[in-house]
Amino acid sequence: MIQFLIDTIIRALDLALIAVALSGVYSLIKFPNVALVQYAVVGAFVGMLLQQAGLPLVLALPVSAIFVGLVAVIFNVLLFERLLTEGSAIALIGSLALSMILSAVFLLAFGPAAYRFDLAVAPAMRVLGARITVHQLSTLAITVAALGGFAAILFFTRLGREMRATATNKVLASASGIDTRRVINATVFLSGVLAALGGMTLAMRGSVSIDLGTQMLLPVFAAAILGGLGNALGAIAGALVISAAETFVTNTNFGVLTGTDFLFLPASYAQTASFALLVGFLLLRPSGLFTSEVSRV
Amino acid sequence: MSEFLIHVAAVSCLYGILALALNLQMGFSGLVNFGLIALFGCGTYGAAFAHLWGWPPLAGLALGLIFAALMGLFFARLGARMSEDYWGIATLSLAEIMRLVFTNEQALAGGAQGVSGLPVSFAGLAGQGAGLSRLALYAALLAAAFVLCQRITRSGFGMALKMMREEPQLARALGYDLGRMRAIVMVISSLMAAVAGFLYAHYLSFVGPEQLMSHETFLIWSMVIIGGIANNWGVVAGAFLMQFALAYVPFVKDWLDMPSDFVAATRLVIVGGGILAFLIWRPKGLFPERIGGSHG
Amino acid sequence: MTRTTPALATLLAATTLLSAPAALAEITLGAVIPLSGSNATPGEDQRRGIEIAVKEINAAGGVLGEPLKVIVEDSAGKPQTAIDAARKLVTVDEVPLVIGSYSSGITLPMGEYLVQEGIPHLNPASTSGLVRNIGDSSFSMVGLDNVSTEFAAKEVIANGWKNVAVLAVNNAFGQGVAQEFQKHLEAMGGGVKTSVLFTGGQPSYRRELQQLEATDPDAYVFTAYGTDAALIMQESFELGLQEDAPWYSILITMMNKDTAPEFKQGLSGMDVGYLGAGGEGYAATYEADYGETFLSAYGGYAHDAVLFAAKAIEKAGSTDKQALLTAIRALGDEGFTGATGEIKLDANGQRMSQPYLKFKVEGNDLVQMD
Repeated sequence: MIQFLIDTIIRALDLALIAVALSGVYSLIKFPNVALVQYAVVGAFVGMLLQQAGLPLVLALPVSAIFVGLVAVIFNVLLFERLLTEGSAIALIGSLALSMILSAVFLLAFGPAAYRFDLAVAPAMRVLGARITVHQLSTLAITVAALGGFAAILFFTRLGREMRATATNKVLASASGIDTRRVINATVFLSGVLAALGGMTLAMRGSVSIDLGTQMLLPVFAAAILGGLGNALGAIAGALVISAAETFVTNTNFGVLTGTDFLFLPASYAQTASFALLVGFLLLRPSGLFTSEVSRV
Repeated sequence: MSEFLIHVAAVSCLYGILALALNLQMGFSGLVNFGLIALFGCGTYGAAFAHLWGWPPLAGLALGLIFAALMGLFFARLGARMSEDYWGIATLSLAEIMRLVFTNEQALAGGAQGVSGLPVSFAGLAGQGAGLSRLALYAALLAAAFVLCQRITRSGFGMALKMMREEPQLARALGYDLGRMRAIVMVISSLMAAVAGFLYAHYLSFVGPEQLMSHETFLIWSMVIIGGIANNWGVVAGAFLMQFALAYVPFVKDWLDMPSDFVAATRLVIVGGGILAFLIWRPKGLFPERIGGSHG
Repeated sequence: MTRTTPALATLLAATTLLSAPAALAEITLGAVIPLSGSNATPGEDQRRGIEIAVKEINAAGGVLGEPLKVIVEDSAGKPQTAIDAARKLVTVDEVPLVIGSYSSGITLPMGEYLVQEGIPHLNPASTSGLVRNIGDSSFSMVGLDNVSTEFAAKEVIANGWKNVAVLAVNNAFGQGVAQEFQKHLEAMGGGVKTSVLFTGGQPSYRRELQQLEATDPDAYVFTAYGTDAALIMQESFELGLQEDAPWYSILITMMNKDTAPEFKQGLSGMDVGYLGAGGEGYAATYEADYGETFLSAYGGYAHDAVLFAAKAIEKAGSTDKQALLTAIRALGDEGFTGATGEIKLDANGQRMSQPYLKFKVEGNDLVQMD
């Protein structure tokens, strides 16, 4: 049971940062930016390169996150502002196309092999019978800090107020003197930072290869949609629900059903669980699990 | 005509059928389907099951068509309840579920291994006869699919589809049953995709879950966007253009003496870059939709 | 008129010259191997084996008096890419024989395609039992996994491990190994508590490892390729699975090079033999040319596939497909000695006897046990 809880939380860590980024940007520009999962991979690779270049990890993480934030703003200004004039479906397709191009860049630059940070790997500690590794704990701390920081910006700063105002009613926000374009690009920057941290913490727990973005796409979407797209903090709850479903599918011994000692479903069915949950959920509640707090401001 | 040229032309014809199917959905009806490859997969796996169970190949076609019609109807039902980008994500998820199930269930068509050794159509003919006969068959089916699409889109029903795409509220107010229209479009285009899948399986001689990767769907999207959304001539031209461009990448690699990852990367850039470039600079594609046209 | 004719003639001659040499001046074979993807390391080993074989043959005067050339294409570890590559070799380069590939998941569909085209196919590495059924014109230079898993099962029993958990990659090779190994182990009185198949290329294999751990086995038996295996070993170390029970690798050279030494202490395993009697020359050339020892066990088999093909073409006296097939069968019957020992083919065109070796890891290297 403890192991189940811990596995669920660890998996939620994989998803939460990127899902929050996705949801946060959606609240302002109303299209789900698929390329965010690739920004996470960019963050991980850049962080590794910085570490190889001699930067200590505590510096490599924020430098790479800021770099990816800027990249996100550049793509937003050059690409998505233009595509959005054609409609959200066009922008969505554009973000898919951008993801493919980024995949090609990763493939040429890094090849198909998996990479990891240069971190000492130690055997796991036992906590109440469940296993936890040092890196799981350190990335948990990073993730909580990043999410806390984002929430603080959203609720306790002028920028946060402007973000919420713009999300609620862009025209009105603009009329009351808010520079909505600046607010949107600030949010895009933050989303890039969060996604990059998401990618780097994932890589710290395991490894990163060029397929990571594609593999994360649907679970992250499932988490963000379940939390109510546009409701940034709802995405955290969405991530927990998705992780619990995935962990249930892979950790449960179904041997009882077939009369054998052990029967586990293939671990890649974890994703199937989240997709099925997503589709079923979309059928029942097309607007998400939680009413958007942002819209009630 | 060299055999390689025949090969590329034959595959282009099959992708032409897929591009027409997607065009019917997203071009004319505004249905953002990111799971088209699953409908294609109904055709390939229909062929695979028939081969495994020792049925004649044509029974596999029937099986594939039944799968595809059911899946198309299910997609359409989903579409009734959600907005277009949500539907896009939902269809993408369904296609991925199908791929994951076929990857992990060995009892179903070999799991990750897939099914190989399917009979290749016209394999008995000597020399270039086999390749040319296949090309002729695929070209004839492409022509038939084209005529069908032209007839649909120029009919009153086609007009109603465009209204559903542009002004769904108005269409509903005018008394059109959008759910039924969506279902009809999805079933017709799903059947087309399944036919292409069935022929592809009996061309490659191999069916496996890797053929259902989502980037295959985006390849078809690139054909539609580059050729011209809602223009049947355009999307067929787009299919040929993309297939020929992709087929010659390995030769460019040999010529420039590039590393072996170059081929995969260049293909991604051609598809992704093609989509982006056209969306930005020529969103209506090479052959823009003809507005108005000859509606009765 | 008189002026244009010589010009035309020159032009004609030039076109003939430009197009002809490939067909006339050399014998060209094709090979499809994984140069990219997670099997790029053994693929590179295969490429080196082929390169050495071509050099040896050309140094000894070529084939039928012509120089030999092998066009190497990348399978990228994907069936579709491999079939497309084989199609290019057959239709554009018009090779009389194709060698390939590495993993059975690729070799099967590609081999079936080649059989349908009537092009002789030599399998230099894939060990799935299904390879036997590819078809008449397909031949294996390596013994299949019904033999190798029996060897592994004997080892496991001899080590006193009665109940084991099996982890294998989800493709034809892994499926075959898991099934065959279980069959042999049960016949010897042991048991498999669970068999988990994993999909390659994942960022983490914790879930699979936890499933294995839940069955509390005497030992973990696994088979995985390159970088996937490296991550599995790292995570099993992190999760403490390596403390609980020993790990045993089937075809250990597939994963040893990519795995860091601290994550594979105490690992043992088995693989096909690198070298047979008479293979010392090959090993010496390899180390001289590439400055290191073999990357995997499979370069020698690719090397032998080229030698075998060249010998068969000599025997056939031409590159005509029918004559070549007859020659390959005849050569398989009488036996042929390459770097990996004697290659004799059975009625299905599969290699009959196959040397296997036991290994254990010491530091970063594999040490042979007897």
